[in-house]
Amino acid sequence: MSVQVVAAKMAEVDLKDIPSGKALPADSPVSPATEGKNIGKNEASSSAAMSPSAESSAKAGEGLLTPNPGKMPQASALKRTDPQQNGGEAFVNRDGTVAEAPRMKKIQFADQKQEFSKRPSKIGRRSLSRSISQSSTDSYSSAASYTDSSDDETSPRDKQQKNSKGNGDFCIKNIKQAEFGRREIEIAEQEMPALMALRKRAQGEKPLAGAKVVGCTHITAQTAVLMETLSALGAQCRWAACNIYSTQNEVAAALAEGGFSVFAWKGESEDDFWWCIDRCVNVEGWQPNMILDDGGDLTHWIYKKYPNMFKKIKGIVEESVTGVHRLYQLSKAGKLCVPAMNVNDSVTKQKFDNLYCCRESILDGLKRTTDVMFGGKQVVVCGYGEVGKGCCAALKAMGSIVYVTEIDPICALQACMDGFRLVKLNEVIRQVDIVITCTGNKNVVVRENLDRMKNGCIVCNMGHSNTEIDVASLRTPELTWERVRSQVDHVIWPDGKRIVLLAEGRLLNLSCSTVPTFVLSITATTQALALIELYNAPEGRYKQDVYLLPKKMDEYVASLHLPTFDAHLTELSDEQAKYLGLNKNGPFKPNYYRY
Amino acid sequence: MSELVGEARAELKQASKEVKESENVAEKYSAMTVSKNSEMNMGDLSTVLSAVPTHKPVKKQIQFVEDKQEFSRFPTKTGRRSLSRSISQSSTDSYSSAASGTDSSDDETSPRDKTQVNAKGSSDFCVKNIKQAEFGRREIEIAEQDMSALISLRKRAQSEKPLAGAKIVGCTHITAQTAVLIETLVALGAQCRWTACNIYSTQNEVAAALAESGVAVFAWKGESEDDFWWCIDHCVNTEGWQPNMILDDGGDLTHWMYKKYPNVFKKIRGIVEESVTGVHRLYQLSKAGKLCVPAMNVNDSVTKQKFDNLYCCRESILDGLKRTTDVMFGGKQVVVCGYGEVGKGCCAALKALGAIVYITEIDPICALQACMDGFRVVKLCEIIRHVDVIITCTGNKNVVTRDQLDRMKNGSIVCNMGHSNTEIDVASLRTPELTWERVRSQVDHVIWPDGKRVILLAEGRLLNLSCSTVPTFVLSITATTQALALIELYNAPEGRYKQDVYLLPKKMDEYVASLHLATFDAHLTELSDEQAKYLGLNKNGPFKPNYYRY
Repeated sequence: MSVQVVAAKMAEVDLKDIPSGKALPADSPVSPATEGKNIGKNEASSSAAMSPSAESSAKAGEGLLTPNPGKMPQASALKRTDPQQNGGEAFVNRDGTVAEAPRMKKIQFADQKQEFSKRPSKIGRRSLSRSISQSSTDSYSSAASYTDSSDDETSPRDKQQKNSKGNGDFCIKNIKQAEFGRREIEIAEQEMPALMALRKRAQGEKPLAGAKVVGCTHITAQTAVLMETLSALGAQCRWAACNIYSTQNEVAAALAEGGFSVFAWKGESEDDFWWCIDRCVNVEGWQPNMILDDGGDLTHWIYKKYPNMFKKIKGIVEESVTGVHRLYQLSKAGKLCVPAMNVNDSVTKQKFDNLYCCRESILDGLKRTTDVMFGGKQVVVCGYGEVGKGCCAALKAMGSIVYVTEIDPICALQACMDGFRLVKLNEVIRQVDIVITCTGNKNVVVRENLDRMKNGCIVCNMGHSNTEIDVASLRTPELTWERVRSQVDHVIWPDGKRIVLLAEGRLLNLSCSTVPTFVLSITATTQALALIELYNAPEGRYKQDVYLLPKKMDEYVASLHLPTFDAHLTELSDEQAKYLGLNKNGPFKPNYYRY
Repeated sequence: MSELVGEARAELKQASKEVKESENVAEKYSAMTVSKNSEMNMGDLSTVLSAVPTHKPVKKQIQFVEDKQEFSRFPTKTGRRSLSRSISQSSTDSYSSAASGTDSSDDETSPRDKTQVNAKGSSDFCVKNIKQAEFGRREIEIAEQDMSALISLRKRAQSEKPLAGAKIVGCTHITAQTAVLIETLVALGAQCRWTACNIYSTQNEVAAALAESGVAVFAWKGESEDDFWWCIDHCVNTEGWQPNMILDDGGDLTHWMYKKYPNVFKKIRGIVEESVTGVHRLYQLSKAGKLCVPAMNVNDSVTKQKFDNLYCCRESILDGLKRTTDVMFGGKQVVVCGYGEVGKGCCAALKALGAIVYITEIDPICALQACMDGFRVVKLCEIIRHVDVIITCTGNKNVVTRDQLDRMKNGSIVCNMGHSNTEIDVASLRTPELTWERVRSQVDHVIWPDGKRVILLAEGRLLNLSCSTVPTFVLSITATTQALALIELYNAPEGRYKQDVYLLPKKMDEYVASLHLATFDAHLTELSDEQAKYLGLNKNGPFKPNYYRY
C-alpha cells in the first residue's frame, strides 16, 4: 500500500484535529514568560514547567534530552539567555537548575561517570550494550560517544575535512570514525524495523523527492537511520544537533561520509551551537523547504534570521513539548506563516513515551540503582496519569503493595477500580518502602514527609522535572549526604536514619535506565510520516497553524511496528466496513476516542 | 432477614441492569436502521424516530417468555443460588416478563381505566396498583444504600435547592435506582413528572411508591404501544404545568414534544440525554438545524464510558460465562475479538484468571496496545481450531461466521459482548443439518452432524445483558451524572449553552467521580495553593485538558 494513497485520505480528520490541538496553549496557563523569570531567581523551580501536564513530561527518548538540569548547565544556560529568545516565547526553563553551582555538578558528574566505567562490573556485556543506547538517549551522561578521542583538542570548526567523495560540506569531530559509526547505524537499523519497512515500501515512489529537509535533533544512531530513510525516500537533508552534548561523533562521521551535510559534535559551545545551525541553513544554492525540529531552536533561528526563507517552508515537524509550546505561542501571536505538525501528541508516541516506557523503566531504574526486591514491598505512587499507571502496573505485577495518591477524582476512581488503595501521602508515609512521584507538580514530597519516612526508604521521581521532590530542603547542615553509587545518595538524619534518594530527584528513567530503541523507532517513524504528509499534502489542506498528526498516520505508525510482535492484523471485509461506515484502511476511530 | 435483604438486593441489581438494557435495545434499533457512522438523511431519521417501540421487540419478548418459563420448570442442580440469581436475572433482562416481583397477574384491568388516589388525595398519576407503594418504598430504601453518591449529592445541595423552579419531565426506566434519582431531584427543588422509556422495564411497586410520595408517574409493566405514547402525552400535557427540563433515555420523549408540542419544546431550558440512540437523534436534529434548545450528552462522559464499558465488562464477562457454563478459566485458550474498552476489560479479567488470551483487531493502534499488554494478536482463522472460548466485542457484524463455527473444536463456547446481536452470524446456524439443543436458559448446544457441539450463549445477543447483572454502582454513576447535568443546564447563565449538543463539562465529570470515591474509602489529595499555581490549575479542577485520554 502506498504511503501516498494513505496520505491522500486524511483531509477531514486533520481539520477536526485542530481544535483539540489548539486547546493546548490555552490549557497551559503557566505562562512561559513568568516561568522564565521564576527560574532566574529561584533555582528550585527548574526545567520542567513548560508543559504543565504531568504526562507530556516524561517524554522519553530524544525529546527528553533537552530539558535537563544537571549535565549541561553552563552552555545551555547561556543558550537560554540568548537574545534571540525574546519575550513571549521563552522556553527558558529547559535547564533550570542553574543557580546552584551547576558547573561543579557537572564536573562531579563526569567523575562519577568515569568512576562507573572504571568498574566494568558484574553486569558485563549487557551493561555495555545498554550503555551505548543509554548514551544516545541520556543527556546527563557524558559518555555519549565512547570513541571520543579526547586527545584531539582542535575545534572541528577549524579543521578542514573531506569525505571519501571529496565533499567538505559538513563539520564534525573526526571523519575517520565513519566506519565505526556505520556499524552503530547498522545495529540501530536492526532494532528499527518499522523505519526500514517504511523505507522499503515507499522508496519506489520517492514521496519526498524534491524535499529539502533541514533538521535539528539529537544526532544518534537512531536519528541516522531516520535521516537515511528520508534520503532513501528522495529528500535532501542538512542536519544540526539540538543538544550540545548528545551527539555521537562517530555517527555524525558516518553520516558525513555518506554524503549528509552534518554540523554537529559532542561538546559544542553555545556559539558553536548556533554556528552549526546557521551553517545548516545558510548555504548558497540550497533552500530548505521542510523543517524537522526538536526543541524549536532551528525554527526560531530561521524565523528570526531568514524570514524570507521561513515563508517558503512547506512545513515544520516538531517533536518536543517545548518546541510545540513555542509553535503554539507563535501561532497565537499570528506569526506562524507555515503549517506545523505536532508529532509529540500522537497517540502512539504518547502511549509509548509514557505508559509503556515507564512501565519498563521504573523496575529497571530501581533495580540498577538499589537492587531492591519488589515482592511485598509497600510502594506509594504519587499521581495516576499515564506514567503512574505504568509504574503501578509494573510494581503490582512484581507483587508489591501499591498505594496511589491523586488530585484528579477521575484518575483516582480509575486507581480504585484497578485495585489500588487511594490515600493521602501523609497517611502512609511512615510505612512505605518506596516513594515514586509522577505528578508533574512541584513539592509533592516535602521535607516534612521525608522526615517521617522510615529508615531505608527509597525516594525517586518519574515525573517530568526535578521539582517533585523538594531536594533543596535536604541540603541542610544536620543531614549528611553520602554518595554510594552513581545516581544514588544516602541522606542520613542525625538519628542515623537513611533515606535513599535516586538521581537527586531528577528523572529516574532518564538518569538510571535506558529508553528502548523500540520507543525511539516509534518517534522516528512518526517524524518521517509527518514529513511525508506535510510535504505531499495538496495545497490548502494545511493552513498556517499547528496540526496534530492525522489519525490515519498514527495508525500507520502503529501498524509498521506490529510485525515486531509477529502480530497479525485482521482486515475488515467490504460488508463489515460498510456496516461500520468505515474505510477499510482506517482511520478506525473517531477523534475523541480515548484508547 | 438476611435472606430478604439478599433477595431484595438481587432484585435491585436486576433493576439496575435495565438501564443498561435500554441502551442496548436502543443500539439495536440504530443498528437496524443505520450503520454507525453513516450519514443519515432526514427521511431516515424519521423512520428511526418512529421506529422505537415497534412490534419487533414484542415478538422477541414472546419468544423469550417461553424460554423463561421453560427455565423455571427446571429448578436444576444449582439450587438456591440459582434461584436467587434467577430473580435478579429476570429483572435485569428487559426481554423478560418478570421484572416486577410482586406483579399481581390476576388484575387484568388496564391502569388507564382505573382511578386511583394516593394517601394525599392526588390522582395525577397512572400506575398498576397504588397499594404496592409500601413494598416499593422498601426497594427504594435499599437502592439508596447502594447509591451513596446520589444521597450525598442530595445532602450537599439540598439547602441551596439548585433545581428550585425546575419542572422536569423524565422518560427513563422506572426502577428503584431511578426512584432514588427522582427523589434526589425533588429534594433539590425540582418538580418531576415521569414516564417509562421501555414498555417492559417498569417496576410496578416502585412506580407506586413514587406516586404515593406525590410524583406524577405514568408507567406500568407491560404497556402496549398505544399506552406508551399515552403515558408520555399525559406526562407532558397537563394544565397549569409546563416542563422546562427534559431528562430522556432513548429520545422518545424529546421527539414527542418536538413533534406534538413545539411551543412547549421551544421553552425548554435544556435536555439531558442518556442513551446512544437518543444522542444520535439529537445530533441529527442539531445537524438539520432544528434543535432549538441546548442538550447535554451524558452518554460520553469519561466516568460513564469507563464504567459502562471497561469496568463493567471486566466483571460481567467472568460472571456471565460462569453462570451459563460453569467453565473454568485457568489455562483455557480464549480469543477476544476487538481490543477497545470492552475488549480490554474482558482480556484483563481473563488474564487474571490464568486464561491464555488471543486478540483480533483491525485498528493498528489498539493492536499495538494489545501487544504491549502481553496478548498475541492473531487473525481469527489462525487459531479458531485451538480455542476454547470465543468472545466478540467489536461492534461489527459477522465477525464469527459459519465458516469459522464449522472449524471450532468440540465444546468451544461462543458469546458476544459487543453491542448488538450481529457479531456472531447466528442465522447461518439455523440450517437443517445442525441440531439445536437448549440446555439451560440462554445456553444452546449447536450440534454438528459429526457430533461436535458448539456452545452458543444468549443466541449471540449480549452476554452481559442476558446472563449477568449490572452493578448498582454503575447505575449510581449514570444517575449522578444525569442529576449533575440537569443542575448544570438549569443553572447555567444565559448564553453559556447555545442550541447545540454538549458534552458534560469536565468539572462535572470529575465531580461525579469524586462523589463515588467514598465507596472505596479513597482519600483524594488536595493541591496546595503553591502547587495549583505551579500547574496553572484551579484547586478544585478541572484537572486535565479536554483532549486528555485517561
